[in-house]
Amino acid sequence: MYKSALIFILAASLVACGGSSEKIVEVDPPEIISPDIPVQPAVDHSGLVPLMADVIEKNEYLSGGETTVFVSNKNAFGRKPAAIAEDFQLDGHFTSGDHLFRTPDNNIGPILSTGSCQGCHLNDGRGVVPADPTIPMSSMLVKLADSTGKADPIYGDQIQPFSVDGFIDGNTLAAGLSKHDGSVSGTELYGEAFPFIVFEPITGQYPDGTAYELRNPVYKIKDLSYGAFVDDIHFSARIAPQAFGVGLLGAIPQENLLKLVDENDSDNDGISGRASMVINALDKTGTESKVIGRFTYKAQNPNVLQQVAEAYGGDMGVSTTISSSEPCTDKQLACLLAAEQEAKVGTDVDLSDLSLAFVEFYNRVLAVPARRGFDRDNETWTDEVTAGRTLFFEANCTGCHTARHVTAEAKGSVLGEITLGGLVMPESGETVEAIAVLSNQTIYPYTDLLLHDMGGSCAVTRETSAGLSCSSGAECMYVQRCDGLADGVIQGDASGTEWKTPALWGVGLVQTVNKDSTFLHDGRARTIEEAVLWHDGEAKASKEIFMNYSKAEREQLLTFIESL
Amino acid sequence: MKFSSFSKISAAMIIAFSLTACVDDGDNGVSGAVGAAGADGVAGNSGVSSFVTRDDVIKTNANIAYAAYSDSLISATELKVALETFVADPTDTNFALAKKSWLDSREPYGQTEVYRFRQGPIDELKADGTLGQDDAGEGPEGLINAWPLGEAIIDYVEPVDGLSGPESPANAITDNIIANITAYPTINADTLEGLFEYGEDGRNVTTGYHAIEFLLWGQDLNKDLSGTGTRDNTAGQRPVTDYSIEVGACTSGSNATTDDICTRRGQYLVTTAQLLIDQLKRVTEQWEPVSGSHYTNFVAGGDVSLAKILEGMGRLSFGELAGERINIALIENSQEDEHSCFSDNTHRDIFLNAKGVQNSFNAKYVRIDGEVIEGASIYDLLVVEEQHELANKLRGALEATMSAAAVIDTKAKTGMPFDILIQDGIDQPNIKAVIDALVAQTDDIEAVIDALGVTTNDLRDDTDQEI
Repeated sequence: MYKSALIFILAASLVACGGSSEKIVEVDPPEIISPDIPVQPAVDHSGLVPLMADVIEKNEYLSGGETTVFVSNKNAFGRKPAAIAEDFQLDGHFTSGDHLFRTPDNNIGPILSTGSCQGCHLNDGRGVVPADPTIPMSSMLVKLADSTGKADPIYGDQIQPFSVDGFIDGNTLAAGLSKHDGSVSGTELYGEAFPFIVFEPITGQYPDGTAYELRNPVYKIKDLSYGAFVDDIHFSARIAPQAFGVGLLGAIPQENLLKLVDENDSDNDGISGRASMVINALDKTGTESKVIGRFTYKAQNPNVLQQVAEAYGGDMGVSTTISSSEPCTDKQLACLLAAEQEAKVGTDVDLSDLSLAFVEFYNRVLAVPARRGFDRDNETWTDEVTAGRTLFFEANCTGCHTARHVTAEAKGSVLGEITLGGLVMPESGETVEAIAVLSNQTIYPYTDLLLHDMGGSCAVTRETSAGLSCSSGAECMYVQRCDGLADGVIQGDASGTEWKTPALWGVGLVQTVNKDSTFLHDGRARTIEEAVLWHDGEAKASKEIFMNYSKAEREQLLTFIESL
Repeated sequence: MKFSSFSKISAAMIIAFSLTACVDDGDNGVSGAVGAAGADGVAGNSGVSSFVTRDDVIKTNANIAYAAYSDSLISATELKVALETFVADPTDTNFALAKKSWLDSREPYGQTEVYRFRQGPIDELKADGTLGQDDAGEGPEGLINAWPLGEAIIDYVEPVDGLSGPESPANAITDNIIANITAYPTINADTLEGLFEYGEDGRNVTTGYHAIEFLLWGQDLNKDLSGTGTRDNTAGQRPVTDYSIEVGACTSGSNATTDDICTRRGQYLVTTAQLLIDQLKRVTEQWEPVSGSHYTNFVAGGDVSLAKILEGMGRLSFGELAGERINIALIENSQEDEHSCFSDNTHRDIFLNAKGVQNSFNAKYVRIDGEVIEGASIYDLLVVEEQHELANKLRGALEATMSAAAVIDTKAKTGMPFDILIQDGIDQPNIKAVIDALVAQTDDIEAVIDALGVTTNDLRDDTDQEI
């Protein structure tokens, strides 16, 4: 009782703040509610009146608040917000960050997954699954862990399929590929291994009899240059996600996200939701206290700067002051040898803090595309989107895909204030200027940024290309088969079946920005509908509601998602 | 009275008179406290006509746009003739003339870039002849001047700098357009435009000034063609035999190759020169006085158009020129990031871009044939609107930039090109001086926007560039 009364007062005071008068708002005494009837909280995790299934908020079409742009063509994910464009300096910093984001760095390698940020985030959007298994992965990657979540002792936590030789003149990728035992001698440098995906069809049907087909990915890894993986290795193939909106996600107050945690499913909706608590590498206080992870498919990075730095390090082999080592483990002598011969070695990192800060700024402020299906002149939504939204809420998709958040002040870079002449650290007692366009925004990303168990399990075998069991040799591949969404890879707090809820904003434009892009972490879903059908585990109940909708209703729900 | 010299006042008055023939007296310049009414006198206009209006400034700016784009079109037409002559008769002399013609073509074009970043035809002109509003990437700018290049899509490259490829290796084509006869049997406009930004990859640049530059100069590999070691003052050294028409004499750099490769290279040069002409023609026509549709709209646009002028000046000064074209090359110490990296003509790009900003302020442009286009300037307008100090401050800031850019220009012409200047321990202070001056002038441009009470917000839907 005490709790609900308090919430009520909070709600009332919030409403009072919105007005300009000083009139005291009359607060009705809380109604007496029987304890067995679940109470709809008066405010949500952000302190706002909860969204309703059948009422669309006035500004929902502005997915990114003031960071929203009205572009729905192939450039939709690479735009700057108006507030950035209006300011010559911020506009300039965005331009510099954009340049660095799409230009291969001078100091990539020795081993790597791709040569520039845009190399994976194609057109600032998603990566693609290679069209056939002979084409190496260059805009997606494979993470590695043993059954306890530890990195492979030789290969580390990620396969870098290329050596820098593959990037030397732009179109000789093959020169950098891996070769069975090629680098074992310790002198010759090759990419680490060649991962590829073979899809197997799965068929099914809706309760109304409509048939569908999914494609189940089988991960295969061949041509290991440095010898065998550790025995209980697992693989997680990951498509680079679209890059926009991350500055807003980074500015959601941690306490708001933690309010969404329901580890023991105390509300009995079948959905738990755990925070992935990770070390903030940028915290120089030495406390090593953990903060909520927000980025990567298993929420392993707490902020955009750390995410950018680790992508430079792990994906491109570009060292920074934040991620200062080259992507070689101490068992990879050929890689270490090549690293020593790079133009910049040791504490002389590959990418300067100023360049890093430009890329961080660019990435943080990349704008969110506005919703489609909304007529701005008449302020009306199409009937399909309106109906689809209600169906989405009623199926409790919002149990994980939390529609709305608010951001707090988006602090300036910990690297310092950007000027063209260099980074300027604030005087003591002062702070780097916050990024206004990201601060105090109401946004609609459709994610809770929490980990959810999506079900499934995986097994890894050794096989030849003919499918015969093997244990060693050049023909003996690693093969991982899974049912469901599981990858079997433990990362930090995230288990082998848990995934962070991805944001859904802009998802309807993914294939406009890049026609070959597909959905889910490894790109297995060719359409949004397939992606919905892959949901299981905590999302099973919602998926079944979706499947039981009529064909027309399913189309409405998908139209709604397309409009995000 | 900021001017101390009589001749400057006269010059300003002559400009003012020539602009508005109906001005009946020059007394404005000597009124105020020193005029007949003493301390009660009305403030003077420093010799500027009282009749300069915002619309006059806008109209002059449009006239200069037409002149500068026309010059770009004329010089591109001359470039194509020079390229055709060279391809038909690939002598050393004709090769040198072709390169000279390319360098000449850059002179007017560099001064047009101040017309970017302001929702003008260069960024927004769509295929159907209308202007877009949301930068759909449909403007001709990319086809004309996209940079930096992943030049490996066009022709052979030496595997030395590691930076000749696309953003993503997934977007690389097999071999390159010139070498891959099977996939691209015919080098024509459709082939080159079809592969422009292939895979939505901004480095797959197949057309425009810099594609021609690469085909004429080749990669900048230093004197010894090693591409490694200490940078020297040579530009790219593509051999003339890359265009040989003698049987069995065709090369791709230091390697012999089949005759058809040289033929295709020549076809590529001429084709892309024609595409350059086509695109410049579209932009120029938009700016055609009286009849051009953008010209008509722009001169009738009032304060929105005035904001556009200042917008282009500010965004070119800071983000594009000081930031992307100079500072990135400096902090990355990267030849790849210099604007004209094959020909080592970056000093001219910098000078001419800065000059374009100054042109917009002074409302003066010298055409390639020497004719001077001038008229009502922002300077004049500020004086008329009693912002004398600000007028003079921005004039001074632009002058400081031009003098700093002149240093880079001179150093390059005397053996120390931009790619040497950006290196650690060389003459970075020269480069930094230009950046600092551009940053300072941007502040003053912002102050002018405030002082004139024009807002750039109206322009926002918005005007990004995908270079």
